[in-house]
Amino acid sequence: MGLLSLTFHPSPAFNPSIFTLPPHRCHRPSSLAVRATSAAGTPQPLLQVNDLRAKILESGVEILHGVNLTVNEGEVHAIMGKNGSGKSTFAKVLVGHPDYEVTGGSVVFKGENLLEMEPEERSLAGLFMSFQSPVEIPGVSNDEFLVMAYNARRRKLGLPELGPLECFSYLMEKLQLVNMKPDFLNRNVNEGFSGGERKRNEILQLAVLGADLAILDEIDSGLDVDALRDVANAVNRIRAPKNSLMMITHYRRILDLLNPTHVHVMDKGKIARTGDISIVETIETEGYETVAALT
Amino acid sequence: MSTVAFTPTPLNPSFNSHKFVRTKPNRFSLQSKAIVTSDPFVLELAETLEDSLPSSTAPLQKLREASSESLLSTPWPSRRDEPFRFTDLSFLRYSNILPVSQHPPTTTLPAADSTSFLSLNIADGHPVTPLSNSSQLPQGVYVGTLSALASTPIIDRVMELMCAFDAGDLFWSINGVGAPDATVVYVPEGCRVETPIYLRYLAVEGGAEGSKTMRMSNPRVVVVVEKGAEVGIIEEFSAAEEGNDCYWTNSALEAVVGEGAKLTHSYIQNQSSSSAHIKWTSIRQESSSTYELTEISTGGKLGRHNLHIQQLGPDTVTELSTLHLSVGDQTQDLHSSLVLDHPRGYSRQLHKCIVAHSKGQAVFDGNIKVNRYAQQTDAGQLTRSLLLEPRASINVKPNLQIVADDVKCSHGAAISDLEESQLLYFRARGIDPKSARRVLIFAFGGEVIEKLPYPSIRERVRSQIKSLLDPSPK
Repeated sequence: MGLLSLTFHPSPAFNPSIFTLPPHRCHRPSSLAVRATSAAGTPQPLLQVNDLRAKILESGVEILHGVNLTVNEGEVHAIMGKNGSGKSTFAKVLVGHPDYEVTGGSVVFKGENLLEMEPEERSLAGLFMSFQSPVEIPGVSNDEFLVMAYNARRRKLGLPELGPLECFSYLMEKLQLVNMKPDFLNRNVNEGFSGGERKRNEILQLAVLGADLAILDEIDSGLDVDALRDVANAVNRIRAPKNSLMMITHYRRILDLLNPTHVHVMDKGKIARTGDISIVETIETEGYETVAALT
Repeated sequence: MSTVAFTPTPLNPSFNSHKFVRTKPNRFSLQSKAIVTSDPFVLELAETLEDSLPSSTAPLQKLREASSESLLSTPWPSRRDEPFRFTDLSFLRYSNILPVSQHPPTTTLPAADSTSFLSLNIADGHPVTPLSNSSQLPQGVYVGTLSALASTPIIDRVMELMCAFDAGDLFWSINGVGAPDATVVYVPEGCRVETPIYLRYLAVEGGAEGSKTMRMSNPRVVVVVEKGAEVGIIEEFSAAEEGNDCYWTNSALEAVVGEGAKLTHSYIQNQSSSSAHIKWTSIRQESSSTYELTEISTGGKLGRHNLHIQQLGPDTVTELSTLHLSVGDQTQDLHSSLVLDHPRGYSRQLHKCIVAHSKGQAVFDGNIKVNRYAQQTDAGQLTRSLLLEPRASINVKPNLQIVADDVKCSHGAAISDLEESQLLYFRARGIDPKSARRVLIFAFGGEVIEKLPYPSIRERVRSQIKSLLDPSPK
């Protein structure tokens, strides 16, 4: 396990900016450009979760009781389930949230042991999670934050860091992509943002940083119909074919907009059932209890 | 604390003939009347101080007498005295304190850095005239020394103010005895001074680093902002050059803000890390006046600010913001007291401090008195501190004393390390914890820096704080 994390280096295959290739990263080996889900090639596993168990550090309460899940390149997964079933905990454990302790199982991301990595290393490796309730950071402007994060990524890739001015045009491009006004950049990170603005801000960060696997934790909650469509369109626009998506949601609407290839139902800290979009119909008519019990 | 009550009387010409009696060992004419609790250390200090001064100039005579009277009845404060419970003055107590030379030092002082201020150097307590850009001064405004002031009505006004404050401590009295002259800022009724007045206090003389000798200076400033007038004042304390780092600046500023007038006060203290900086700020606010203070203190081995604000009429607005930074073996201390005696006063106080060294310390005692007639007062006070190193310490004592019954008052105190959730947010976006901490710590102080009203000074303070928090960027 230790070896895996020690051999973690940026390689041609490592490209956290796959969502949106910056102009300076145009030369990808053509073999990697093959659509993972195309009928010809076998899909490459991006994330392999095996019997993952985790507890809350402070209370010691175990929340995840053995989660198994594989996400291949290019797939769109949806995780549903009733409140308290462990969906958000699963997402937070994947990005290394310090409130949780992994007590068993393994997670391999792009061939590396994810659990050995610090949260920032996971991010740099190409894993992104949009926070359900993003924290306010008074005194730090959105552009300062984005420039820092973007440069951390460039540093990791061995690219020269960009000054604020050089970054600006890049950020403006991304702002348009997610349909946001430029004054968004001058405001402090999430400070005084409405619920919808916070969600958009998460998507803006995703657009700027890119990710091989983006986990959207209830990106649709608290959004009105129009805002939801904007956010979903932005996600569709910034997603490259090879990137994968894992969304956690309670609602059908976003599923219709993002077309998941796999739908999972979590129950009592496990994935109780997996299927395609048709499973959602069953959930809507019969409820989570019945669907989870079907296994 | 024993203070001697003093009733201000109009300046009497007979004072000119009243000589400061100097008969050793009983040097002070008023000593016989004083309660005999004289501390030998204080006595000796007073004597050397007095020896260093030229024979008293008339306007300061009265101040010196009043000050020496209270000085002689006030012992050197110890940790047993509430105002110094958490502030250790022993390093001063065991230093060899020598007054600065009586003549203004001849060292070439740095010139005013821009035309956007009316700047005046105060070297070792001596105002060094002339004022820069003085052509920008509106008619009737005076910025200069008390000794050179020709207008009798203004002298009277200044004197009236100068001897009215009786809540000072030993250091206030030491300043009253030792101030070689006073700097006067006088803004007549209805006058709005567009260009801010920049008082640059420079410590020139000083003992060498590690020596036990401290050179003491006593700058004194009096500000009168008459009815409906408006002025901005920047006080910045620093050293003229590196090398003479052991000095003690014992400064005092008193101001009266007239009816409907406004005083915007910025106070920046970045003296050397082996110096002592003790400052008094005494403000009197008449009805409907506004006083805004932004303090950024980062320097000194000891930095102590005593801030006293007295409300003289209703509908006053008072906004106080302070940032203290202890990045070494140093103490930053703010003792503030706001006394509200009239209706509808509005006040906001924000105190923030960052202690980033295991021997660093910060002290805050913020008192707000809402007395019987101060109905419909709206007073808010918040103190927030970041303790970033093991053994770093902070003592905060926010306190509201409310007698009036129809008021809105709030206070809060928080002492913590950085928020984990904020750190995680940075890390989740690929930013290493060290950089994240640096940005978050700076952002914490940024809230106060933002309040500095002048962009050039704000920028300078910002970069100075950045370099203090992170001495070796990249």
